[in-house]
Amino acid sequence: MDRILSDFIVSLRHAGVRISVSETLDALHSVRLVGYEDRESLRDALMAALPKSAPEKEIFNRCFDHFFSFDYFADAKSSPDAQQRPVSLAADVPLSRMLLNGDQSALVMAMREAARAANLTDIQFFTQRSLYALRILDRMGLPAMDGQIQAMQATGSPGAAQQAAALEKARTMLMDNVRRYVEQQLVLNTPTATENILSSYLRHAKLSMLEQQHFQDIHVIIQRMVKRLNDLHSRRRKTAKRGQLDFKKTLRKNITYQGFLFDPKWKKRKVERPDLVVICDISRSVMRTVRFLLMFLYGLNKAIVRIRTFIFCSNLIEITTIFDEYPVEVAVEKIRLGADLPILMGRTDYDQSFRDFKTNHLGSVTRKTTVLILGDARNNYAEAQTGILKSMYERSKRLIWLNPETPSFWGTGDSEMKKYAPFCSMIKECNTLHHLEGVVTSLVHRHH
Amino acid sequence: MRTLHDEKFSSPEAIRQGFQEQGFIASRQIATTAYLAYHLEKPLLVEGPAGVGKTELAKTTAAYLDLPLIRLQCYEGLDESKALYEWKYGKQLLYTQLLKDKLDSIINRENGFAESIDKLHRYDDIFFSRHFLEPRPLLKALQQEEGAVLLVDEIDKSDDEFEAFLLEILSDFQVSIPEIGTIHAVTKPIVFLTSNNTRELSEALKRRCLHLFIPFPEPALERNIIRIRVPGISEKLGRQLVAFIQSVRKLDIRKAPSVSETIDWARVLLILHGEELNPDLVRDTLNIFLKFEEDIAVVTERLHQLTTNAVRSAGD
Repeated sequence: MDRILSDFIVSLRHAGVRISVSETLDALHSVRLVGYEDRESLRDALMAALPKSAPEKEIFNRCFDHFFSFDYFADAKSSPDAQQRPVSLAADVPLSRMLLNGDQSALVMAMREAARAANLTDIQFFTQRSLYALRILDRMGLPAMDGQIQAMQATGSPGAAQQAAALEKARTMLMDNVRRYVEQQLVLNTPTATENILSSYLRHAKLSMLEQQHFQDIHVIIQRMVKRLNDLHSRRRKTAKRGQLDFKKTLRKNITYQGFLFDPKWKKRKVERPDLVVICDISRSVMRTVRFLLMFLYGLNKAIVRIRTFIFCSNLIEITTIFDEYPVEVAVEKIRLGADLPILMGRTDYDQSFRDFKTNHLGSVTRKTTVLILGDARNNYAEAQTGILKSMYERSKRLIWLNPETPSFWGTGDSEMKKYAPFCSMIKECNTLHHLEGVVTSLVHRHH
Repeated sequence: MRTLHDEKFSSPEAIRQGFQEQGFIASRQIATTAYLAYHLEKPLLVEGPAGVGKTELAKTTAAYLDLPLIRLQCYEGLDESKALYEWKYGKQLLYTQLLKDKLDSIINRENGFAESIDKLHRYDDIFFSRHFLEPRPLLKALQQEEGAVLLVDEIDKSDDEFEAFLLEILSDFQVSIPEIGTIHAVTKPIVFLTSNNTRELSEALKRRCLHLFIPFPEPALERNIIRIRVPGISEKLGRQLVAFIQSVRKLDIRKAPSVSETIDWARVLLILHGEELNPDLVRDTLNIFLKFEEDIAVVTERLHQLTTNAVRSAGD
C-alpha cells in the first residue's frame, strides 16, 4: 500500500479523526484517480474520503498542512536581513551564521539532527512540547547565540546593535519553526490514548477546577453522553408505545374486507413524558456545575423530558423561555452574564428564593413532577424555609438535591444541607461530569 | 453501463464546465468530489447550511447526464413501505375475488383437507410476486435500466432505524425483500444524500459515503453565481449585493441568507430597476432574504453602515 498515504492516515487517527479500513481504501482509490501532483486536488480528494464532519474537516486541514509541508524556514530566505553581510562578530557562532545567511537547507538539517539527538520520536503528550522544543534549541546552539546577542548589545556600536536586532528577529523565527516541527512530530507520534486519557481525566475532574480551554472538549464529551442517552431511550420509547392487539377495533376495521383480518389494529400504550422542574443556584461557587447540568438536560430529546428551569441567587426567576429561544450554549452564556434578566446577584438567599417560588411557581410542581435542586445550601445564616421545601416535596413525585460540595462539608458553617435533607428523596454529590451523567441517566431511567 | 457517461465525467474540470452549462457553479472541491463519487461508485453525503445548493447538485447531475432524478424526501416516521416497496393490497384482494371460482375448483376437486392445503401452497407465492409489488423511490432507482440519480433528501430528518435500513442499499446497491429475495441494481444509480445536520448521522452511514461539506460561497464564487443565474444584472450591482449579503452573514442572526435568497434578491432588484444599493432600496427589500422579525431588526439597525461598506468595497 501507498506508504505516504498510510502514514498520513495514521497521523489523522492520532489527531482524533476516526478512519475505518473501508475509508482508507476509498482514499487510496481517490489518490489513484487524482494523483499527487496537485496539492489542492489531493486535498479535495482526501477531504471527500476521510473526514466526515465539519470538526473533522478542520482537523484534517490542519494535519494536511502539517504533513504535506516541508517548508520549514521558508521565511528565512525571504527575510530582508539576509541580504546584509554579517559583521565579523557573528561568524563564530554557526547558528547565527546560518540564520543571517538564510541558509534554509542547513537550518532544516541542523534541526532534524538536533531532534534526533533529543529523541523527539519519544514525545507522547502535548504537555511535553515546550520541553522538547527547548532541548532541540539547546542542541542547535541557541545558548551560544543568546550570549552573542548580549555581547553585541553590550558593545553599543550602531552596527552591532542593528545586527543584534536582526538576530533577535531570526531567533523568534527559529523558535517558531522548531515549535512547529515538534508539534508535527507530536501529531505523528501521539497514540490515540492521549485523547482518551484527557477525556477520562475531564470526566472525573472537579468541574469548578477546569480551565476555560477544556470547555470545548467537555462540550464534545457531553454531546457524546447525551447522544447515547437519547439513542437508548428513543428506541425504547418506540417499542414501548405499541400495545397488544385491539381485537374489537381490528374486527370493525376489517369488515370491509369481508371479515378477512388484513389490517390488524393495536392498542396504544400512552407513554408519560417526565416533567422536570430544575431550580439552580447560580451564585459563583455553583455556576460552573449549573452550566454543565443545563447543557446535559437541554441536550436531551424534547420527547423524553419536559423541563422548566428556574435560577436563583438573591431572588428567583423562571428562565425556561430563554432555552426555547436560543441554542443551549448561547442560553447558558446569557444566564452566566445575567444581562437583561431580573435576577439580583447579591448574597445567596434561599429564604427569599424559596418564598418567590412558593408565591409564583408552586403550581408547576405536580404529582408527575421531578424537582431537581442544584445548590450548595449555603444560606448566609438566613431563614432556611424548610416548610416550603417540605410542601414541594409533598406535591412532587420526587425531589432530588444535587450538591456540588463533597459530603463532609454538608451541614458545616452556614450550610443548611442537614435541615433540608429530610425533605429530599435523594441527595447526591455532583461536581464531575461523571456525577452529572449518573444523575441524568437515573432521571430518564425511572420513567420507562 | 456507467461507461456511457465516462466522457462527461472524465475530469473534475470537465464536470465543472458541464455543471456550469446547466447553470450550477461548482467550486473546485465540489467538482473533485463529484468526480470521485462517480468513479468510485460511492454514495455522496452532502452537508452544509440550508440553501447552498445541496439538492441542486443532485438535480444538476441528473440533468447533465440526462438521467431520471428519483427523489426521496425524508421525514420523521418514514419507513420502508414508503421508501422501498409495498405490496399492492388492493390488487391482491381484487385478484383473489376474481379467481375465487378457479380456486374453488382447484381445492374442491381434491378430497382431503390436507391435500387441498398442499395444493394451495403451490399457488400462494403468485400473490407475492413482482406483479404485485409497488416500487417506491429506492427500489425504483435500482430498477432503472439506464441508471438514475437517486437523491435522498434531508436524511437527518428520518429516524435512526431508517438510516440503518439504508445501509444495505448504500454499500451493495441491493435490497432484500423477504418474499422475493434480493434485488440487485440493474445499473448502479448515482446516489446523493443531503443533510442539514439537525442531528449527528451514524458512523456506519458516514463510513459508506464520500463526504462533501458545502459552506457559504466565497464572494468571488457568489458573484459568479449571480452573474450566471441572473443574467440581466449589472456588474456593479452584482458586486454590491454580494458584498452586502456576505457581511450580513457575519452578523449574529437566526438564519443567515442562503445563496438561493441572494439570487431571489438579485432578481427583485432587477425588476425594480435598481442601479445601485442604497439604504432605502435595501430597507424595502430586506424581507426577501431575511425571514425573521428579529433578524430584520438587527440588520435595519446597521443598515446605513452595511450599505455604505458594501458599496465602497464593491467599488475597489
